[in-house]
Order: sequence, then C-alpha cells, then structure tokens
Amino acid sequence: MIEHGPLLERLLAGEFVCAVSDDNAFRHLANEETRDAIDLYLRPLNRRLASNEEGSVYFLAWRQLNEAAREQLSRQLNDTVNSLLPLLEWLQLVQEALGRDTLAAPGDVLKPAEFSAKCEDNQSLRERLEKLATDSFFGSQSDQLDAQVKQLFKRLKEHGYLLQPHTERQVFVVTGKIDYLIEMVRFIRDEENLPIDGEREEGAQEALL
Amino acid sequence: MNELESRLLKTGAERLALLGKHAERLMQGYTRDDVPLDGLNDSALRKLLAARVLWRPDEQSGVKLAPKVRELIAEMLADETRRHVNADVAETLELVRSLVHSYREARSRSEHWRQEQQLLRLRQEVDDLNGRFADAIDSLWQRLNSDFGFVSQLSDKIRENDRAQKQIVRLLDGLVLIDFDELIALVGSDGSLRKLLISQLQQRLSHHYTSLREVQRRLIELMARFRKQQARSRLISGMVAFMREHPGFVPGNYAKRSDVPALFNHAAPLNAAAAPALDRALENRVLAELLHKLPTPRHAAQTVESAVAALTPEDNLAAARQQALKQDVERFYLAVLDQPPAEPISALAYLYDSHLEWPDEIWLFQVISEYQGLPRSEQQAFRLHQEESPASSFNDLRLIHDVALAVAV
Repeated sequence: MIEHGPLLERLLAGEFVCAVSDDNAFRHLANEETRDAIDLYLRPLNRRLASNEEGSVYFLAWRQLNEAAREQLSRQLNDTVNSLLPLLEWLQLVQEALGRDTLAAPGDVLKPAEFSAKCEDNQSLRERLEKLATDSFFGSQSDQLDAQVKQLFKRLKEHGYLLQPHTERQVFVVTGKIDYLIEMVRFIRDEENLPIDGEREEGAQEALL
Repeated sequence: MNELESRLLKTGAERLALLGKHAERLMQGYTRDDVPLDGLNDSALRKLLAARVLWRPDEQSGVKLAPKVRELIAEMLADETRRHVNADVAETLELVRSLVHSYREARSRSEHWRQEQQLLRLRQEVDDLNGRFADAIDSLWQRLNSDFGFVSQLSDKIRENDRAQKQIVRLLDGLVLIDFDELIALVGSDGSLRKLLISQLQQRLSHHYTSLREVQRRLIELMARFRKQQARSRLISGMVAFMREHPGFVPGNYAKRSDVPALFNHAAPLNAAAAPALDRALENRVLAELLHKLPTPRHAAQTVESAVAALTPEDNLAAARQQALKQDVERFYLAVLDQPPAEPISALAYLYDSHLEWPDEIWLFQVISEYQGLPRSEQQAFRLHQEESPASSFNDLRLIHDVALAVAV
C-alpha cells in the first residue's frame, strides 16, 4: 500500500487520475488486485474507487450514501450543471479556433499563444472568447485578449481538465477528465430525453468490433 | 543478346528518357486536367503519344496523362489520394498458367533458350504479383499511420477509411483466388517451378495475408475512433444548442435518487493533513534540521491556530522535575531570608541538610540561575558568593565548588 501513498492522497483530494495526469498510477489501477487493495483501504473513509464507463479516468465515490453525502453530491451536481455550458462552449471554440476536425481529446496539446493568435485574427472568435471569458465560471476581469485566454486556461487547469507539465512553459495537455465530462453530457441527454441527435452510428461500429 | 532484345532495350531506354525530358510538363498534367502543350513541338508530342505516356481521348479534348503514368507518379510520390490498389490476381494467374504450359512445351522439345525465357517471365510475373501486394499493403499502412492526414475533414477521413477497407476486401478476395492445389498439379515434378510457384509464393502470400488482416483490424479500430469523435462533436454541439435555447434547463437531481448514477457519485475531497511530531527520537533530529533550514521570516510572526507539537510522557516528566527543582531552590532562598543578615548559607550544605536528592552540579546551577533570574531590585537584597578556583595553574577557567547566599546588609 505504501507505494500507492501519493496516488491515494491525490484521489482523496478529489482528483481525477488518468493516463495523462499520472501514467504510472493509471497503469497500476488497471490491475484489479491493486484496485481491491485500495478499496479495502478506503472502506473506513466511506469511499471507494470508481471510474467512468470507458475506464479512462479514476476517482473516488462515496461507499455509503448518507444524507450528508447526498447533500454534497447535490451541490456538486448544481455546480456541474452551471459550468456545463461554458465548458462545452470552450471545447467548441478550441476546435474551431485551431481548425481541428475533432474535439479536444485526452493527450491533445494546447498552447494558449496559438489559441490567442487565432482568436485575434477573427472577429467572431474574438467575440465568443470575450463572452466566454467573462462568464462567471471563468470569471475574467480583463478586457485584454491574452489575459482572458490565460484566465480560461488557468480555470480549466484548476478544474483538472488541463494539465501544465512545466509551470514555466505555457503548454497544456488535455486530461481524461474531458471524457468524464462528455459522458456526463451523454447521460443527461439520455436521462432527460433531450432532442439531441448524435451517435447513432457509434453502437453499430462497436458491434462490428 | 539477340536482335529483338537489343531493339527492345534501345526503344525502352529512349521512351523512359522522355519521362525525364518532359518531367515538369508531365507533373503539370498530373496536377491538372490536361498536359499543357505550349512550347512543345509536334515531333515531341508524337513521340510522347507513341510511347503511350500521353493520350488524347478525342480530337476536341486536350492531351492527358496516360493512366499508367499517372499511377507511376502517384506510386513514386506515395500520393495516397491517387494511389491505386489493384492486385489483378485473376489475370496474373491466367498468364502464369499459359507461361507454365509454354515452358513445359519448350522443355519437352528441349528448346533450352525458350525454356529459360519462359522461366524468366514467370519469375517476373510472380515478382510483380508480390510487388503489387507489397505496394498495396504499404499504401494502406501509410494512410493508416497518417490517420488519413491527407484529408482534413473528419467525414472525408471516414470515407477514405471506408474505401481502404473495401480495397482490403478486394485484395483478400484476390488472395483466395490463388489455389495452391491447382498450382501443385500445374507444376508437376519440375523443381525450379515448384520452388518458384509453390514454396516461395506460398511463403510470401501468407506474409501478405497476415499484413492485410492486421491492417484491416487497425482500420476498423481507427474507424471506430473516427465515429466516436464524430459522435462526440455532434453531442457537444447538440447540447450547446439545446442549452442556449433553454437557458433555464435543469436536469433532475440525480443525487437524491435511491440509485445514484455512478458518474455523479464523486466523493468530497479529503485532505490528508499532518503536523510535525516529536515522539520519535530519531525523527527529532530531522525535524531540528528542518527547523534550522527554515528561512527567517521577513515579517512579524502572526499568531495562527495550528496543531501543537505533541508532547511525550518523557517530556512531561522532565518538565515536572524541572518544576520541583525550582521549588526546592526557592525554599532555599526563603531559608536564607529567615537567617540573620550577613550570615551566608552554603548552598551545598543546605542541600545535604535538607536531604534533597539533586546532584550537586544541577543544584548549584539552579541556585545561580535563580539569582540571575531575579529582577535587579530583588537581586540587590541578596549577596551571592561563589567559591571558586582556577582549573589548573595554566588554565584560568574558574571552577565553582559551592555558592554561599546571604541577605545583603
């Protein structure tokens, strides 16, 4: 258990562990015995190891859902719903600004400077960025483009969606928590029967595999 | 070398040279509809048409690159958008059959030269067949490894992937056409044919088969990834559009359900806090070192509520002993005050008389320090005499043997 000390600490602190944020720990967690051992350790803390459907990110869940736990989860859900639109809009903005044909995915490298440059050249992107940065989730107070972009990346890093491998270098890597976010969106769509089309073909292709 | 062969060589070399001579013009034809003709004289054009480097579909239309030349260029450039994948197995097999018959005919008539010519052509055909499979597989890997980077849109990538998968199916169908039982019967007992058409070919084709299966598996995987990415993009843009249209949208409170969805059960953060502890002698040294390494604070320390270093029973005991010693020394001072003035009492004598158990040195030390700890006004009420001597005649270190305390007059 001693070797997993730092991992446990991160999990207990509420972090999401994926192949990008901690490759080594992630590989350990792929082992069922390790997961069982960690679960056993977490039992007195009323927590257990959980993962998203895809198994690309691990986090801690409540073992027993008592009133206090439900209260905390309700508050958290509320926060999540409030941050959903800005987060998704950011994903779209990045995709469009960088001219990519796919959404940012775990392991993708993002450079604020590149993002700024693209938004600077395009009035419509610039306006969307401005609107996004001043949203209460990102909370930028500045009207300078660079400062706004900086604030966006800072907040996303704080929320664990981005990782900055070197503090002195302005280069960020998308983490597996993005997968978790997208799964939540899918869940909400299905659960609330939202009229959103999307992935009809996905099931078919998976069946083929 | 016979006359036919030498003529073939000469003409072939001449025509190949045409490619080099008109390289830039031909490349323009490769990237456009037609080959530009300005500055090209009639005889040169005739030569290019005769060599089937160029062709003209009809009188009105422009001159175009011959399909084979286009293919050659695509192959040389590894231009995946235009590289063709075509193993043409059926035709090759037809040719192989007729060459084998012709070879056996020549052998039965003992026409060695013809026999050798047929064997050479057979070898070339087999090499070509191999080469076509190898090229096709190489082209497939190139596309796969570049994630179909030659097209930018995800939907195009999905179409290209689909096309590549169909090509694989055709190539695999081609491999199935090669029936080794038939080939074994065809070559009979001829050693060189057997080696060429059975053992070598079989080995290579099974290698191609494995490669094709592998590339197929990877293409399907990649396709699944493309589709997943496509689905994600659609999901996100759909949700964004929905939430913009319905600003007041709030999903159900999943946390209050009897069965909380796994995704929404993310436990509250827990901080694994720790404070320095002094209950292990070994660690005390480490802590002391850490303490020394602390930078001196630049501003006045603020009082903060924080965990207090844990005290051990031993530490408590030492504090109690210290307190007892202090009280005994205070009693000694009171005893001095009870004495008539100017009559000193020896500290050691008091110690022995009172049957106290303190070691002499500690006792004296405490008596002196108690004296020095008094406020100056009270200190003046006492007179402390130290009985001392030098450590040796050469060392002026003073050793205190006893102190005598008296009330000052």
